[in-house]
Amino acid sequence: MNRNNFVIHLALALVLVLVAAFAGQLSRWRKQWKSHIGPIPASEKKRATTTEEIALSEMRSFGRPEVLVKFKTGVSQETIERLTALRHDRVEDRIENVEGLEAIDDLDNADAATVVSEYQQLAEVEYAEPNFEIELDAAETAGPLVPILPHDPQFTDQWALSNSGQRGGKQGADISATLAWATTTGSDKVVVAVLDSGVDYTHEDLIQNMWMRPASMAPYHDNELGTIDDENGFNAIDSSSDPMDENGHGTHCAGIIGAEGENEIGIAGVNWKVKIMPLKFMNAGGFGTTKDAIEAINYVIDRKKAGVNVRIISASWGSTQRSRALEDAIRKAYENDILFVAAAGNATVNNDRNPHFPSSYNVPNVVSVAALDRHDELAKFSNWGVKSVAIAAPGVDILSTWLGNAYEEKSGTSMATPVVSGVAALILAEHPRMSVDDLKKKLLASTDPIVALKGKTVTGGRINAAKALE
Amino acid sequence: MAIDKNSAVENARNDLAKRLNVNAADVKEKSVEDDDFPDMALGAAEDGEMSGQMITSGWRIKLEAQGKTYEYRADKNQVRAFNFKGKNHRV
Repeated sequence: MNRNNFVIHLALALVLVLVAAFAGQLSRWRKQWKSHIGPIPASEKKRATTTEEIALSEMRSFGRPEVLVKFKTGVSQETIERLTALRHDRVEDRIENVEGLEAIDDLDNADAATVVSEYQQLAEVEYAEPNFEIELDAAETAGPLVPILPHDPQFTDQWALSNSGQRGGKQGADISATLAWATTTGSDKVVVAVLDSGVDYTHEDLIQNMWMRPASMAPYHDNELGTIDDENGFNAIDSSSDPMDENGHGTHCAGIIGAEGENEIGIAGVNWKVKIMPLKFMNAGGFGTTKDAIEAINYVIDRKKAGVNVRIISASWGSTQRSRALEDAIRKAYENDILFVAAAGNATVNNDRNPHFPSSYNVPNVVSVAALDRHDELAKFSNWGVKSVAIAAPGVDILSTWLGNAYEEKSGTSMATPVVSGVAALILAEHPRMSVDDLKKKLLASTDPIVALKGKTVTGGRINAAKALE
Repeated sequence: MAIDKNSAVENARNDLAKRLNVNAADVKEKSVEDDDFPDMALGAAEDGEMSGQMITSGWRIKLEAQGKTYEYRADKNQVRAFNFKGKNHRV
């Protein structure tokens, strides 16, 4: 190769390199431009809340082709471009695999329907339609849920809802409440009956979530008890209208289900919003009679029939004595579409062999609940039963509301029970018409498997509120 | 009114004396220990009684009379005879 040829070849090589580089840059520009005008992912749209985000969203939507126009076979590209130019439009893209299909942008920013109408009138056009923005279903777009953390000051002590490993616990050994709250924090249309020692309905963290008999509803009337002004609930002990808690147990359970969330006071319940119907059948000592429990269940059924959307009875109590009458009352609740969530008991026994009632009644609406500690171990006191205990929930050192605007940590299957009742209420907030059978199925299908529960409960798992809302 | 440990023991002694039909002085205090009970009836529910399934702190009181040991359970709200002749009793 002589010197002249070498120079020519070198020059050609340089030109080729420059052309390739320019082509690459063109391709990158094109990609950037396409992504700039591309459809906005639904997830981004859902999260555009700040001024900057909204502005970005608007900027992205500007320039998106408004219409898709299919020109008839044989219409030349030249004609298409002429027709679009006449309307001050621009062919933005050709859909290669469908002959004659063009994505057209109206430079005057007319609305899509108008542009479609214009093109539909042209003889050269087979059809025209808006460039619909396709959004995936919520479940598909949601992706990983973003945890919602309430600003209630003692929330950090509520390991059952969010276990960050506080006080030596196992991180994640919780009911995934913060993820569930990304879907719902509850509904004041769902009423949960707390059948217990009553509830301190004046507690500042509960007062907004207390059920009150609507003014339009007649006071409770029972043929034996007469008429009772059940404005705040029902007291079965003396068949009166005042279900004020004199013990604290019922108030504690109520707070677990529905202490008002995000009110910057105390704690957050599993439901931030819900209606707690207080029912008192246990006295200041925390015990009561089977007869009074039955009276209170009858009250719930009556109010349900009268139109109150009471779908759950939370029963953090029990004994080893079987009562056919109590079982019948619970069955009656089932027939009225009411779930009955019951404590498995704290005697460290197998309920399959040593039943505990009402949790061991073989009635379809009964959900028996065992207790877990902050390490995902079955609580040392908790009863179990691979046939008779359905599910487990946190029940050791549970912080909740107490008498006199106070908060206390308590332990027991009493505390695990309202966690499950609370999750059931969240489900109903999302699916108000779900039947009691489906509600129970949903609860039992919404667990995280726990090694310590294998062979101990029906599900072998800890309730997961986020799963319950999937 | 809340019951304290001493009055719980006193109540238990008087109750046992009555049940055994002996003088309270003949009922000896064997031991009194702080303890946690499985429920709010202190694991000593009477027939037909339901109780909150919350771990409850109280006192386990053991008394001696007529050569036998008897157990009582108490907390700030109550005193109960545990398994007295096969049954629990709220005092």
